[in-house]
Amino acid sequence: MTEATGAAKAELDRAFEDLYRDHLRDVYSYSYYRVGNHHDAEDITEQTFLQAYRHLERARRESNGRPLRPWLIRIAHNLAANHHRDRSRRPQANIEAVEPPVHPHDTEQIVAGREELRSVMRRLDDLSDERREALIMRFALDMSNREIARALGKSDGATKVLIHRAIKQLEELIEAEDGTPREAGDD
Amino acid sequence: MTEPEKHLDLEALLSDALRPIEPPERLAGRLESTLTAITEQASAELSSWADELTESELESLRDPRNLVRPVTALAVGSAAAGALVVVGMRRRSRRPSGLIQTAESALRDLRR
Repeated sequence: MTEATGAAKAELDRAFEDLYRDHLRDVYSYSYYRVGNHHDAEDITEQTFLQAYRHLERARRESNGRPLRPWLIRIAHNLAANHHRDRSRRPQANIEAVEPPVHPHDTEQIVAGREELRSVMRRLDDLSDERREALIMRFALDMSNREIARALGKSDGATKVLIHRAIKQLEELIEAEDGTPREAGDD
Repeated sequence: MTEPEKHLDLEALLSDALRPIEPPERLAGRLESTLTAITEQASAELSSWADELTESELESLRDPRNLVRPVTALAVGSAAAGALVVVGMRRRSRRPSGLIQTAESALRDLRR
């Protein structure tokens, strides 16, 4: 290995280390909410980073300095899609089966809030894959519209509309479940 | 409730329902093991190719198909070894012993 290629390799390894350190939780969270269990989420996360390492040099070259998170999430997105396709004949957990994570609230909040959160999870499963994925990226990963657009291969405008419609549909589904009539003039 | 308020309320619920999930500690170990396995496989392939070369060196050199294997093994092995070292660097603070040896051993295997 020449000095120049050695330096380039070291630089690439540093970039991978940063990518891994900065986005392990993002990739894992996304995978978990897509497949609904820790075991498969670990498989997808592992495969995502292996693929990322293989293609990192090219991705960095083509990103023109833009953040690589959307590219990474797109890898996880494709792997999760393959996972669902491979297991389409077998029973699988969906997001409805995902237990809302436990977070440090006080007891009263937990009792009052858990059912509300379960209701949101149930209704998320009624959305189209694309709408659900956009909401996972927005709320679990805190991605911007631009990042989500790049991860989904859409324009910024189309992504903004997608998220708006996803939230609106979810709102309607939750209201229908609660039996709460929508207010006049809501639309 | 007004439309913007309802949106805000639902967005707050979504933020609460879709909290980031912390990956388990064992995940870094799994990734390291996979990279080690790939490295060892590539190393074994190189070694196997080297054996063939000593037995029928001239014949192999004439057959361009045999050149693909070592080149592929070298590429896969180098990439995996690099990634292994990188993941190892991240884990070093948590597990100071063993990992560096694993990475160094993998690299030594590749160089043989």
